[in-house]
Amino acid sequence: MDNNLKDTAYNWVKGEMPAEIGEQYYCGTRDVFQARLDTMVNFLLGDPQIAENDVYVLSAVAGEIGNNSFDHNLGSWPDMPGIFFGYEAESGKVIIVLADRGQGVLKTLKRVRMELKNDEEALLTAFTEKLSGRAPESRGNGLKFVKEGVKAMNARLVFMSGKASARLNEGIEISRSDEIKGCLAVIKN
Amino acid sequence: MVSRPSGREAYLAMSAYITRDIKENEEIIIDFEGVKVLTPSWADEVITKLAQNHTVKFEHAENPTVKATLKTLSEYSGLKL
Repeated sequence: MDNNLKDTAYNWVKGEMPAEIGEQYYCGTRDVFQARLDTMVNFLLGDPQIAENDVYVLSAVAGEIGNNSFDHNLGSWPDMPGIFFGYEAESGKVIIVLADRGQGVLKTLKRVRMELKNDEEALLTAFTEKLSGRAPESRGNGLKFVKEGVKAMNARLVFMSGKASARLNEGIEISRSDEIKGCLAVIKN
Repeated sequence: MVSRPSGREAYLAMSAYITRDIKENEEIIIDFEGVKVLTPSWADEVITKLAQNHTVKFEHAENPTVKATLKTLSEYSGLKL
């Protein structure tokens, strides 16, 4: 298992114009994403080296991240709507990659917390505080669930948005990174 | 049981066919038997709303995504377990 999946997604969110991605990775609507998420569950359940409960947690984590992209960019995609969703499994090891060319976490959260200064602050807030970019709707619990899910199964998640990157395992580390459009998430068990 | 739109649809369907005759404050038991994947997005649209007017209890909540979702809702959405 190599980094082709991650590189393909990264190139898609890196440039001013979206790079070509295969149709098998592109989910233009939430319905397509949901169908492929269900397919992933069945695919991973077919690997006897992956614990059944881990499959469900991985699916829930990927589902929250992918659905967030649609929840927070509906009607306001800057250029290309929809998300990148790909996964691979080999010898019990799974990699799941999700990405979007949406508004990004900072712009989304700044609508409700104007004092956020940069992408790093926005990512830390998104994973640790109850705050939703869709206020006044009471939301904002999805990425906290993602953080707990990653920790519970000792998985690793890299979540990039704008010029920041969050690495999650037992805890969370935030650092600066090269700028991307929207968000990119890489989940590994 | 993953996204908010599908949770909202489930809640509306429940409101029309299942919960409309249940009196306020009457207990509701949610049975998670057979549930493979539950997320806070779906559950927030259903369980949090049901719990606003009813005492909600859970059965067969052993699935790790069910347990983690209920924990998240209790911590961040004010759901009383």
